[in-house]
Order: sequence, then C-alpha cells, then structure tokens
Amino acid sequence: MNGEKKSPVALITGLILLIYAMVLKSHEAAAIPGFMAALAATLKTSKTIDTQVSVGLWGGAIISLFGIWNLIQPAMKSKFDNVVRAPMAGAGMMIILAYLCRFYIEPIFKIWGKAAQPALGFDFAAMFGLNYILLGIVIGIIWVNTIGVPAWMQAGVKTARLAMKMGVITLGAMYSITELRYLGGISIIMITTFVMGTAIAVLWLGQLLKIPRPLTGVLSAGIAVCGVSAAVAAAPVVKARGIDMAYSIGMLLLVGLVGLFTFPPIARIAGFNELQFGAWAGTGILNSAQVAAAALIFDPHTIETLKVAEIFNITRILFLPFIVIILAVWFAKGEEVDAEAAGAPKIAMGKILIDKFPIFVLGFIIMFAFSSTGVFTPKDNVLHGKNFYNVKPDEKKEVRTRDLKKIQAFIETGAVTDPKAKEALEKLVADRQITSVDQADLVLKAQDFTKDKDLKAVFKGADAKVHSKPKTIGIMREYMMWFFAFGLIGLGMQITWQTIRQAGGKAAFIGVVVGGAKAVLSFFAVWLFIKGNI
Amino acid sequence: MAEEKATKEEQKQMEDRALSVFASEKKEDMTALIISFVLAVMVLIAFK
Repeated sequence: MNGEKKSPVALITGLILLIYAMVLKSHEAAAIPGFMAALAATLKTSKTIDTQVSVGLWGGAIISLFGIWNLIQPAMKSKFDNVVRAPMAGAGMMIILAYLCRFYIEPIFKIWGKAAQPALGFDFAAMFGLNYILLGIVIGIIWVNTIGVPAWMQAGVKTARLAMKMGVITLGAMYSITELRYLGGISIIMITTFVMGTAIAVLWLGQLLKIPRPLTGVLSAGIAVCGVSAAVAAAPVVKARGIDMAYSIGMLLLVGLVGLFTFPPIARIAGFNELQFGAWAGTGILNSAQVAAAALIFDPHTIETLKVAEIFNITRILFLPFIVIILAVWFAKGEEVDAEAAGAPKIAMGKILIDKFPIFVLGFIIMFAFSSTGVFTPKDNVLHGKNFYNVKPDEKKEVRTRDLKKIQAFIETGAVTDPKAKEALEKLVADRQITSVDQADLVLKAQDFTKDKDLKAVFKGADAKVHSKPKTIGIMREYMMWFFAFGLIGLGMQITWQTIRQAGGKAAFIGVVVGGAKAVLSFFAVWLFIKGNI
Repeated sequence: MAEEKATKEEQKQMEDRALSVFASEKKEDMTALIISFVLAVMVLIAFK
C-alpha cells in the first residue's frame, strides 16, 4: 500500500500535470509559439490546448495538495485515507496516461494511418479504431501484464469503477425526454428478453453439467445482467465462495474482453449506425465497463453511441434486484430439504429489492430529471433530439437571401406534398430563420421531397444555424469523457492474465457458450428489428 | 453468529476482488452520486 510510510509519488504526479499545463499555456501564449504549441499544431490538437491546460491545472493542483499531505503525514488506514489519500498517486498517473493517449498517441496513430494508406490501401488507424479509449485500455493491459501495477498505484486503479459510475451519472444530463422515451421503449423489450433468457439458459446448463449451485447462481447473475457487479451482488444469496467468485470474475473479464475487441470491427463491417451499435453493445457485452468502452471505441468523438449503450446497460442493471430474488428462490428450492431441517428464515424480498438497488442508476435518473428542467441550459435553449436549439430571432441565424430564393422556387414547384412541411418552408422564407423546434423538424423533413443535394444542404444549413452549444453542458461533457477515459485505463489495468486464467473449466464453457449466444442473437435482433438512428 | 461473521468476511473478500477502494458497492455508488452532483453544481455556479 501507499500508506504507512511517507510517499512523494502523488506530489510528483501532481507536479508533472501542473508543470505540463503551465508550460503548454506559456508556449501557446508566446509571441513565437514554443515547441509544445508547435507539436500540438503538428498533431492537430491545438484546439484542445484550453482543455489540456485547465484539466492539468485543476487536477495537478488537487493531486499536489494531497501529495504534500501524504509527504508530511503518511496515509494510514482510516476510511478517508483508503478512499481519498491513498488513490491520489495512482489517479495522477492514470490522468497522465489519459493525456498521453488522447493528445499524443492517438494523433500519432492518425498521422501514421494516413501516411501508410497509399502503401496498405487502407487507413489502419481508422480501420482498427485506434482511438484514445482503445489505446488506453491496451496500454493498461500491457502495463499490468508486463511491469505490473506498483504498490503506490494500486489504490488509484481501484477507483476506476467509481470514475465510470460518475461518468454514467453525468451522462444523465445529456438526454432529451424524446430520446429517453424512445430508447427506453426499445431497450425494455430487448433487455427483458435477453436478461431472462440468459439467466434461464445458465441455470439450465449449470444443472445439465452438474456445476455446483453457488457457482451456477453467480454465473447466471453475471452473464445475464451486468458482469462482475451483478455476480458480487448475487453471491450472498447463493452462498458463493471465494473460489466461485474467482471463476466467475475471470470468465466475465475474458468474455467481456473478447466482446470489447470484436464488437466494434464487426459492427463497422455490418454497417451499424450509433443506435444499432449502442443497442447491440448494451445487450450483448457482459460487463458494464466493457459496454462503455466498446461504445467509445466505436464512436469516441461524439457521445451518441455511448448514450444508447448506457440506456441499454442501465435498463439491464435495473433488473439486478429482480434477478437476485429469482436466484434466491431458485437456490432455496434446491436446498429445500436442508433448509427445512435447519429452520432457515424466509427470503426477505423487500429487503433484497432495497439492498440490491443500484444507487448510481438513481443518480443517473435524478441528473436526467434536473437536466429536463433546463437547469443546465441557458434561457431560450432547448434540447431537442441530439442537439440544443436556440430559435430566438437573431440576424446571425438568418438564411442567406439566395438560399431563401431557392426555397421559394422549390415551394412553387409544388413538389412538397406534405402541407405541414410546405407551411414550415413558407414560414422560413417569411421569417428568414427557423423559429421553433417543430419547424426545424419539418424543414429537415422537406429534404425527402427533393434529390437536389444543394437544396438539401440549404435545409440542413437552416437547421444548423439555430443549433446552440450551451457552455455548461459542454464542460460537463468534457469532464464526463475524462471520467470514462480514466476509468477505462483503470479497467485495462485490472485485466491480468492471472485473473483470466482462473476462468477455467465448466465456468468458462458456460460463459463462452451463453455469452457467445447472447452476442450473436442480440446482433441479429438489432439487425432485424432496430432501424433508423437517434 | 460465527457463520454470519464468516459470510460477512467472505462477502468483503468478494467485494475486494471486484477491485474497489470502497467497503461496499453501495458506498461506491453514494460517493459517485455525491461527487457528480457537487461537480454539476460547481459548473452551474461558475458557468451559467
């Protein structure tokens, strides 16, 4: 542990971040930009300098302060020390790794991918999705399995799941009611089918292969619901032992890892869009962390896929208390004779429901509810579909006169057969800009009545002019991405060959068969039934 | 009593295996919830 002796590592990592941010800022602000600003220009990351500086200054300052504290007085074994002070050094190192992946390694791979394109015939960086999320996980896996995670980093790595949960809660602010209603509807149907189907399949296979009931129980929860957390939640009701958990965690990480690396390229080949991939990953990938990772590997620069995948993931997490109850009843029935003899207490369903309810999902729901009141958006802004709109009259939002003439001429051709769309276009010509979100939808719909690409671009342009980018949401989105990047580097560092090797025998067989079937069947379900996009 | 203690010990070990600095999933969730909301409020105060 980091504790019990004075450690300078947190202070060192904090100072690295602080110095980096200050040097980068000074190089950018200099009359002749310094080499770091020039490097950012070469790597095409100049637009991110403000983010790099602010995260470096804030993160570096906080970690340095705790670093000084750790240096003066060693972190002991109090709860605060374990949860806050001890993880600082590892957290600092993981932020540095996130910086390297996002602002240096990914851009270098982008340049190499384009440079090698003439020789290879394809852009290998784009084809293999070598973005900072994937690179962060891979670096984490290589790191832990080669040099190993040093003692001073271990507590930091263990905060990865906390960061991921903070990312999911913050994500709650990014949905509109329309999106949530639509995604919620399709996710409930898909998830109910797959969670119940998988749980039953595992219980049946466990009985067929004569696997001990405690191991079958935790495998059922883990494979059916959301991976490691579900297995841990189900463990007490099926009286699972440490060895059962070791098998289950190893198997869940192994199958999750395979899903993480295979889902994105398969989806690209299948031509899946954000909605389809999000639905597939949120249903088919076993472990929650790998769902977010796969969504961000598929689409790292917008959050659309992540939004879909997390709704599916959250829907299945909400099934956790019910699955635990089902497993408790199933386990009690198997033990009936012994239990009756021992006078075992009845299963307290209400208590299980409360105990096992995932509180962070409640955080996601509360954040969404807050966001829906418009508290995070400035006055006159409204989240509609995936964009914020501000339709308040403003000269800057007006469509050019020559484009308005094109629209007028198009109306006069009589090609727009939908009276509402026609009326929306007439209003656009009269007002020179879109004045309501409903009108924006109708103007976009008018694209269906023409094959003229220029005219379609005019409609899209009129809509884009009333889009807005609220600063509060922009900042929350940025730190949410840092939570995920941080969490996923930590996830990589938790995937050790030693853990995966534990996934042997019948547990691995069940994981591969049922996990594989879940992945394949959910792929076809998405392919057949989920059309369109969000 | 001894059995209950052993079960609790085992559960603690399982949660340790799930790799978290927190003593239980519930505490981890509560911490995530509180930090996320504090950050959101700070963003609101600073930027809205």
